[in-house]
Amino acid sequence: MKNISARPLVWFIFSAFFLLCSTPTQSTESGVGLLLGEAIPPGFDPETGKRIIPNQRCMKCHGDENEKTDTRDDGSIVDIYVEPHKLKDSVHGKQDCTNCHVTVTRVPHREAPEVVVGCVECHRQTWLDHKDDPDGKHERLGVVIEQIDSFMTSVHARPNTRDQSSTNATCYDCHDAHNIGSLGSHQRAEHRLENPEVCGACHRKQLSEYRESDHGKAVLEKGDSESAVCSDCHTTHDIDSPEGGSVMLTITENCGSCHEDAQKSYRSSYHGQVNKLGYTHSAKCFDCHGGHKVRSVDDPTSTIHLDNRLETCNKCHEDAPEGFLGFHAHGHGNDFEKYPGIWIVTKFMQLLIIGVLGFFWVHVILWFYREYQDRKAGKSFAHPHPGEDTVYVRRFTATWRWIHLLFAVSTMILVLSGTTLLFSHTAWAGIVMTMLGGPEVEAILHRTAATIWIGVFLVHFIIAMSNIVRNRDTFRWFGPSSMVPNMQDLQDVGAMFSWFFGRRERPNFDRFTYWQKFDYWAPFWGAAVIGFSGIMLFAPKLTAAFLPGWVFNIATIVHAEEALLATMFLFTVHFFNSHFRPDRFPMSTIMFTGAVPLEEFKFEHRLEYERLKASGELEKCLIKPPSEAMEKGSRALSVVLILAGLGLLTLVFIGYLTMPS
Amino acid sequence: MRRKTVFAILSLLVLMPVITQAAGPTAAALAFTCAGCHGTDGSSVGPSSPSIAQMDPEVFIDAMQAYKADKSNSTIMNRIAKGYSDEQIKGMAWFFAKQKLRLQPQQHDPQLARLGAELHDKYCEKCHEDGGRPGDAGTLAGQWMPYLEYAMADYIAGKRPYPRKMQRKVDAAIKDQGDKATSALIHYYGSQH
Repeated sequence: MKNISARPLVWFIFSAFFLLCSTPTQSTESGVGLLLGEAIPPGFDPETGKRIIPNQRCMKCHGDENEKTDTRDDGSIVDIYVEPHKLKDSVHGKQDCTNCHVTVTRVPHREAPEVVVGCVECHRQTWLDHKDDPDGKHERLGVVIEQIDSFMTSVHARPNTRDQSSTNATCYDCHDAHNIGSLGSHQRAEHRLENPEVCGACHRKQLSEYRESDHGKAVLEKGDSESAVCSDCHTTHDIDSPEGGSVMLTITENCGSCHEDAQKSYRSSYHGQVNKLGYTHSAKCFDCHGGHKVRSVDDPTSTIHLDNRLETCNKCHEDAPEGFLGFHAHGHGNDFEKYPGIWIVTKFMQLLIIGVLGFFWVHVILWFYREYQDRKAGKSFAHPHPGEDTVYVRRFTATWRWIHLLFAVSTMILVLSGTTLLFSHTAWAGIVMTMLGGPEVEAILHRTAATIWIGVFLVHFIIAMSNIVRNRDTFRWFGPSSMVPNMQDLQDVGAMFSWFFGRRERPNFDRFTYWQKFDYWAPFWGAAVIGFSGIMLFAPKLTAAFLPGWVFNIATIVHAEEALLATMFLFTVHFFNSHFRPDRFPMSTIMFTGAVPLEEFKFEHRLEYERLKASGELEKCLIKPPSEAMEKGSRALSVVLILAGLGLLTLVFIGYLTMPS
Repeated sequence: MRRKTVFAILSLLVLMPVITQAAGPTAAALAFTCAGCHGTDGSSVGPSSPSIAQMDPEVFIDAMQAYKADKSNSTIMNRIAKGYSDEQIKGMAWFFAKQKLRLQPQQHDPQLARLGAELHDKYCEKCHEDGGRPGDAGTLAGQWMPYLEYAMADYIAGKRPYPRKMQRKVDAAIKDQGDKATSALIHYYGSQH
């Protein structure tokens, strides 16, 4: 019974073993496995089942220097040669050919292989896998990833307009993947020299222009790898149409990576300032120098050669007169040999700024020190609490107060709009320019403010002259009511400094102090310098019709330097003298109310007070206190203007201190 | 008896899926049927039948598929090939790829063989590398010379499709050395064993 019952079990086990052995097992989970009981043969990947093609098998054909081309099935010739030693030295030298050429599954190729290489995906994946490796071997790949990201948004990565099945260019249109060197390698040097030809394969017209340029001759004829190639100006991957604003800005910026000095001088001109702020309507390097055709100024075919320069200027400045030819587009005040006139004017303006600000800042510091000491000693002027019975003296009529207000407001607008250009290198300038609405609006604003400023100045001048003429019988040019400086002012300067050093009591003044006279006369000089230079720059064609072009260089310098001097003087010295000295702090509203309390008048202008009192004229000058509305309005106006002035001063200091040397 | 019946049913149930999947003989078993013409394990001893041992599996598949589709001139291979599924052909390809090729010495003209060697280096080596020894383009070295003659005649007569580029190379070799080019190549291959 036992024997009988064991027989089916044996049969079952045997059958199962036989069938399992003879069953053609198909692919397993982890690989190709067996086929009809047959294991995959050598030369094929057991995991994927794909043929393993060693690099030397590929190089059998592609590394034959005697047969560098092949004929396609359609009869066209194709370059198939890969220089073995270059491939070996390449960063990809240790890769299998088929890692990139994934469509190649058999060798010899049974069909013409489609060149499909996925550089982007492979590099991104490799970066993801290795970016945190402690050995840092893949660090450089981070740069490649950045370049890929730039490429992906570039015009090269966009579909071709004539054939949208392909992009305008892809990685291997520019890169010889079989010859990619690491940083500092000979491959990179070679690739640099080949760059124009590589780009020129598509951009033929540009290459032909480049060949004739100084850059092109140096690179292509002399093998000078220091000279500019396409990617130096156009960047390597962040390529876009040069019609686009950002590209124009980038190219202009990139010129400066070699031509550093030229770019500095360009940036100090109106052309360069506008460009630095991100606007492209002003002249850029390539507008004058010809982009791909760039040639030396001595070359008669150059766009900047004297014979051709006017035509170049005419591209923007229609009907530019010959005076334009004398303009030094890159002139600057640091090279006496080359630009002696500009150098002298620059140094003069610098000395003027140092002299004026140096004197008055010392004056401010000493004054502050003395008043502070006097206050501590209880000797300073104690402002009486103004009340309804406080007696005031009329110091400024409504006309002068309006003139001052218009002058102050227009000056601030001029400072803001002007320094936005002057300090175009700062971050704040870009923001302000955007807020103003761009350089065109800024120009209108600046010129409108300048017109108001000059208009106010002329109106004041006419009124002042009328007053003098009307009072010609009694007016004394060097008298106490005249703004003309006199010997007393000189003595007052000495007296003030003696007081600063504690050698005497505070001097007494008449109607106008010497610092007020300086404040008054400074705009005369300013109006002449800033006004005339501004008009020259405002109307270049008219100016150049009568004057040589180098006056633009001078005008640019004096306009900016004098404006800087005025700005720094007004918002430091004038503000201190009028508002911030301890006796006046935090502000004085006299210039807005026109009235000064009698006690303060006596303190500030004792000589005038005594003179008026003695002549019996004082009574005529006494007035009631300003209305509450006038007082409050004047305070508010003072606060606004003082804060605006200090804000502008801050911007100017930031700009001045960060100015490229 | 009852127990015996239970085991029989159990065996059937367990093995049913396996039995239904079983597609017949193994690749090796199928390959054994080729031995009559192509020799034991693919090393032919009959001069008209090529050795297929160590043959590149994809070249084997290409040849069988061409026979199957009547695209390649043959005596009986087109009929034989039609009898196999694609999977069976691939299985046999894997089998023969792993067999060692055993060659027989052949009578040849040494002078022609020398010329053939030159022609091979110039026109054939890039595909049939290493002198035409087993590789990814098919075995030529040591192949039976009568078979090579038939094969080349078929190619030249358009009875067998040239692989890509081969016609260009053959034409170039013939242009180079005239009619003796193919003989020279065949004697060169026949000289190797």
